[in-house]
Amino acid sequence: MVDMDAPLDFETEDPLLSCPVIPQKRKKVMDLDDLVADFYREKNKVMERESKRAKVRKKYDADDDDCSKEALLSRQIDECHNQMKKIGDEEEVSSASIQVFGNRKPAPPAAFPELRSCSILQSIESDKFKSLLEVNGETGEILLQGLLLNEWLSKLVSLHGHVEKSIAKWVFHLMLYSPNDELRAAACSFWCTILSPENEGHKLPTEWVPNHSELRKALETYGFLFSISSPAESVNKNSGDRGPPKNISVWIKFIAAYCHARSKQPTFSASEAEEFIEIIIFLYLDTQLQGLLIQLYECLQSVISCFTDEEWSTSCVNIAKSLACRLPRDLSCLRAVECISEISTRSNHLRNVVSYHVLLVCLDNKAPNEDEVLRSLISIDVKDKNCDLFKVYICLVLTENWLLSNPILKERPIIFEMWGVYLRQCSSHITSTDLRPYASKIRTRASYCLHESRR
Amino acid sequence: MSRVREENVLAILDASTTASNPTQHQTDDQIAFLRAVRGAFLVRDYQTHPTNKIYEPVFGIMRMGSSLELILESFRLLCDLHQRFPRVHVLDKDGSESPELVVDEDAWSPFVFSSDVAWSVRQSAGKTSSSPLDSSAFQTLIEELSEVFNDANLQALETKTLGNILLFQYLVRILEEDFVARKRVYDETMNWTLVRDSLLSMLLSSRRINYRSLMKDCFFIICGLCQDCTQSSAGLISSDSSTAKPTTTENTTVAIASLEAVNNIGASLQKLLIIIMELDTLRKKADLEGGITRADGVRTPLLEIILDELTYNRDLLSPFFQKFHHPKWKLEIILQYFSKYNAKPSVRTRRSNSSTEDATFNGVLRCFSNITSTKKIIKKISKDVVQLLLAHGFQVILFHFPFSNK
Repeated sequence: MVDMDAPLDFETEDPLLSCPVIPQKRKKVMDLDDLVADFYREKNKVMERESKRAKVRKKYDADDDDCSKEALLSRQIDECHNQMKKIGDEEEVSSASIQVFGNRKPAPPAAFPELRSCSILQSIESDKFKSLLEVNGETGEILLQGLLLNEWLSKLVSLHGHVEKSIAKWVFHLMLYSPNDELRAAACSFWCTILSPENEGHKLPTEWVPNHSELRKALETYGFLFSISSPAESVNKNSGDRGPPKNISVWIKFIAAYCHARSKQPTFSASEAEEFIEIIIFLYLDTQLQGLLIQLYECLQSVISCFTDEEWSTSCVNIAKSLACRLPRDLSCLRAVECISEISTRSNHLRNVVSYHVLLVCLDNKAPNEDEVLRSLISIDVKDKNCDLFKVYICLVLTENWLLSNPILKERPIIFEMWGVYLRQCSSHITSTDLRPYASKIRTRASYCLHESRR
Repeated sequence: MSRVREENVLAILDASTTASNPTQHQTDDQIAFLRAVRGAFLVRDYQTHPTNKIYEPVFGIMRMGSSLELILESFRLLCDLHQRFPRVHVLDKDGSESPELVVDEDAWSPFVFSSDVAWSVRQSAGKTSSSPLDSSAFQTLIEELSEVFNDANLQALETKTLGNILLFQYLVRILEEDFVARKRVYDETMNWTLVRDSLLSMLLSSRRINYRSLMKDCFFIICGLCQDCTQSSAGLISSDSSTAKPTTTENTTVAIASLEAVNNIGASLQKLLIIIMELDTLRKKADLEGGITRADGVRTPLLEIILDELTYNRDLLSPFFQKFHHPKWKLEIILQYFSKYNAKPSVRTRRSNSSTEDATFNGVLRCFSNITSTKKIIKKISKDVVQLLLAHGFQVILFHFPFSNK
């Protein structure tokens, strides 16, 4: 972000060429003081600039006739500048973000009558503590909330050895639907402790584990769009209940822990895990969740590693095919591919396969195999003025990711060779003076890949 | 070979640095650069670590990145690189030989603690955002964070603050890993020099920082985190949110990112406090064995600073303990707190102080076994504080050391 308070550096900045000062978008609610401060700040800047200009002009005071010429020149430069900006803006039209959250639904009712009969409350009520704590049905839940917040609940439960169904359900509900940040965080860490692989024993220490549909239902409540028909779908944009709720971060953390525990207790099927992967990739595409990038990466790794080896070979292709149908064919499909980490072998494999299938769709499913894919890519003439360079760029990056440390390059030298041909074509057939949008991007990307593949 | 590869990766960035203002293109190029570094150094079975030429721009992007995505991606990249190519690691030896500490002096480090002369030369050469931090820059970072957490609205932090939080998280990670490796070898070899040369020790003993105020800032940030949490109960799923102003895309992004950042900084601060207290313990141990020289300087143990603050601001006991979870040190603080008020009249030197027998939770409970001493303590500390300390003490004892105090 541009630091508004920093002194302007006139040594390097030409006042004529510098962009008009665009007020930074506010992230907080503006009040009158801010407005006044801003006004004066802007005014000072303008004054500083004017005085600078005046100084520059003074040098030429000797020949006053030039003044009008100068004005003309400056107007022309301004025009050029505006035009350049316009060209730049046009290129930015396709952004990689899609909104995956629509209108929220009301949270399911939070009625837990069976909570009263849980053993913790029972023992408190029947015991001599009753008079001390003044617990009755109403305050029981508040007491439990307090225990949850102070981490006593998870400790009592671990001492007990298992979690009762009523408690498990109640904490799960708080975790996903509570409006209170602290309660959600405490509930989430409660569940993470239960699901933690450090727990001894072969089974999870709980009478109840949420199933896939309960987690899916939570996303529905949050307004997650399971089928994104068009990215520009606008449903009641001004409603306050749009966009991802804060609760989503707990959902992501829970899924990560939930998948870690799958080796202990298979609570969901491989196809359900496939859906989790797709959901996480779509969450990643929504830039509103930028702050959760790290959590999303971790969660994705956790889901990817919860498959058995047999499941993985088929699931991997299923995920790729499904994503290829659903992803829009613009920059967001590149974003989707690139969010799959390259660090582990399995996720790198997924990245290769997803890229390949998206690439197939981008080529309108006309190429039946790897060789044909590359052949049809090579057949695209980038010198042709009518060539859709945006599509070429998308295909280039997808191919790069498909072949990124892919064993196929070693197994089939022909693929490696054709990849080289394609890259040379992209980098040499586009000149450095080509002003078409995406031309320079294709050029630099291809020459980078060419260097890398030669090593 | 690696040189060529680095040049190739850096070429992506060069194209963008020529542009004068941060446009979308520059952001794209920076993202492409970060991805290329991942692809070039993390994917393949490539064993050479990138040189400073690569690390510096990545670090620079993390510090000055124009978008949240850039900052987070560069943070993740630095952490992954650090994991793959650690600067310090322990070489385990077979048999009776003690493990050896391996430090790659050439490897990049986000810290530079050079002598004053070299520092001033560097200073005059002009510091950039991509060069490593010295100790005073670390203090400035903490001061900035402490200002933010004292008065800002934690629901909507600015991108710069979010960047500072990630920077802090990264730095603590580096400090911790370096210290833990050295501590492991010290435990076997008793070689104090290893610990003295740790980044943490060099940072704290630097004359360019005000150690006490640095520690106080850390302490107050932790306490501030909790006070804010209790106020900020308005989540986005709530019935009354519909009456509130419409949430814009940007507000949502910031709110979600801020919540996560606030959680993370708490964990990092706790880590930092713990390694400093561990360092203090090692120092005490080395002192008993005569390993401390005048060159080590004097420093008040962090535990004493925390105890002082908790004594003068009893209101902070509850928020502090809600954010500080480490069982061993939590118990230690509770025990020391009680012993402050329950000191025996006999004069004890600081060195023998640690090994008294009643410095256990049992010892504390014994004080409450008869009515006169209980009254005495309550008079000194107040009922609420005693209850709070005992509750936290019980929690630790019951669940973390269940067999040590039976």
